[in-house]
Amino acid sequence: MRLEAHELRSGHGGVPVLHGVSFCVGGGEIVALVGRNGAGKTTLVKTVVGLLRATGGQLLLDGEQITRHPPSRRIRAGLRAAFQERPLFSQLSVADNLRLSGHPVPEHVLAVFGDSLAGRSAQRAGTLSGGEQKMLAAASALASTASILLMDEPTEGLQPSNVEVLGDRLDAARNSGRGILLVEQHLALATRLADRFIVLSKGEIVDSGSAGERDLADRLSRHLAI
Amino acid sequence: MDALTLELLNGLSTFATLGVVALGLGIVFGLMGIINLAHGEFVMIGAYVSYVVHANGFSHWLSVPLAAVVLFVLGGAIELTLIRRIHRQPEVTILATFGLSVCLRQVAELVFTKDFRGVPNPVPGATRAFGVLFPTYRYVLIGIAVAVVVATLLAFTKSRFGLTVRAIVADRDLAEASGIRTGIANLCAFGIGAATAGIAGALVAPLGAIEPQAGLAYLPGAFLVVIVGGFNKLWGVVVGALIVAGVQTGVIHFYDAVWAQIASLGLAVAVLQFRRVSVEGASA
Repeated sequence: MRLEAHELRSGHGGVPVLHGVSFCVGGGEIVALVGRNGAGKTTLVKTVVGLLRATGGQLLLDGEQITRHPPSRRIRAGLRAAFQERPLFSQLSVADNLRLSGHPVPEHVLAVFGDSLAGRSAQRAGTLSGGEQKMLAAASALASTASILLMDEPTEGLQPSNVEVLGDRLDAARNSGRGILLVEQHLALATRLADRFIVLSKGEIVDSGSAGERDLADRLSRHLAI
Repeated sequence: MDALTLELLNGLSTFATLGVVALGLGIVFGLMGIINLAHGEFVMIGAYVSYVVHANGFSHWLSVPLAAVVLFVLGGAIELTLIRRIHRQPEVTILATFGLSVCLRQVAELVFTKDFRGVPNPVPGATRAFGVLFPTYRYVLIGIAVAVVVATLLAFTKSRFGLTVRAIVADRDLAEASGIRTGIANLCAFGIGAATAGIAGALVAPLGAIEPQAGLAYLPGAFLVVIVGGFNKLWGVVVGALIVAGVQTGVIHFYDAVWAQIASLGLAVAVLQFRRVSVEGASA
């Protein structure tokens, strides 16, 4: 499956944020989307999922127009997102969160991160730590049958050992033929995993490249002003 | 002792009527946050369904499920054509549902005129229990109302549909991004809310006059129950109905119906004030 965006435009409350963004994510590859805070990364993810209306451009999933499809239809077509903010229904239990995401057996999802989330089924999701909530959202997306995963800063708040586990799971998902758009500020993980990079700045793609390019690390560091 | 038993049974009957009338509002207003000023008219239409069923020679008991179906369809249509376009704007929703209530009353007047209609009591007579005589139909009403309330509570707390509605109420965007068809779920929830109001209308039809303005009498009580019982929890309707029915029955026993209404309103104001203080205290 292949996700394509052509000249995608979007914004919040009439204020334009994305100014014609084009990219693609194919099956069996990880595309890292990097950029400073406020670059429009989360806006891009929300627009692809359908939570924000595209004001211009096109979104295609396996060649089919999905630009005007409601989010539920995009999810059924094979997209799945793990969000940076409010990734879970905080008032519902962990098990109910996972059932809503189409996982009838919550324990299977909780096992994605080994023992870190074991035995948390009955706990209210809002009482998990920020890192645990991100882990659960990532695990839910990884355990789904979606072909294209949109992971919005999945490592934020995770302890280093779990970042490593998440990296392994993303790698395994890629090897099983799934496409992943990885929004990430954690450059070490992004450079370890990604096949290609897109740099977003002020709602526009200002640079892109492949993992093998020699000066890529320098360019990314410069764009992120590290 | 007999007088006390009778008052308890009256209180139970009031509780059952209030509970089933307020149940739909608990779903629409308490859970979904939609201020529906036409809820009383849904009860009125349910009563007219009962009247039409009786006028055509069918059993009163047929009118209870039929009112549920008619009001589910009507409620679904209203959600589809009106509510979903405005529900994020409370002030617009208030105006629109107020206008809807006026329209529904006028349509009822055009179809049935202003004349008072009635349906005969399907279970006439009284039953002696706990040492007192009490109308048999009221026992039946209590039983059906409790069954409807329990079934609805179970549907909204134990089923996949209920989980879906709670997810939409908690975070609509996340629900949509989880693949939930929020439009269909909202339509069904609003339809169920209207359907329970229809059931309430069919149940109370034999107890009083059926006329286009009849729904107005039920709206304040239903809002009182939801306010006292609390928002976001459907079982709050049961608690609210118990408290409001208890206050009303007690005040009527010692004073009169006017003071009972004043006491109920005072209770709602006190609860709202207490909640405001609690919220401000929690956020301080």
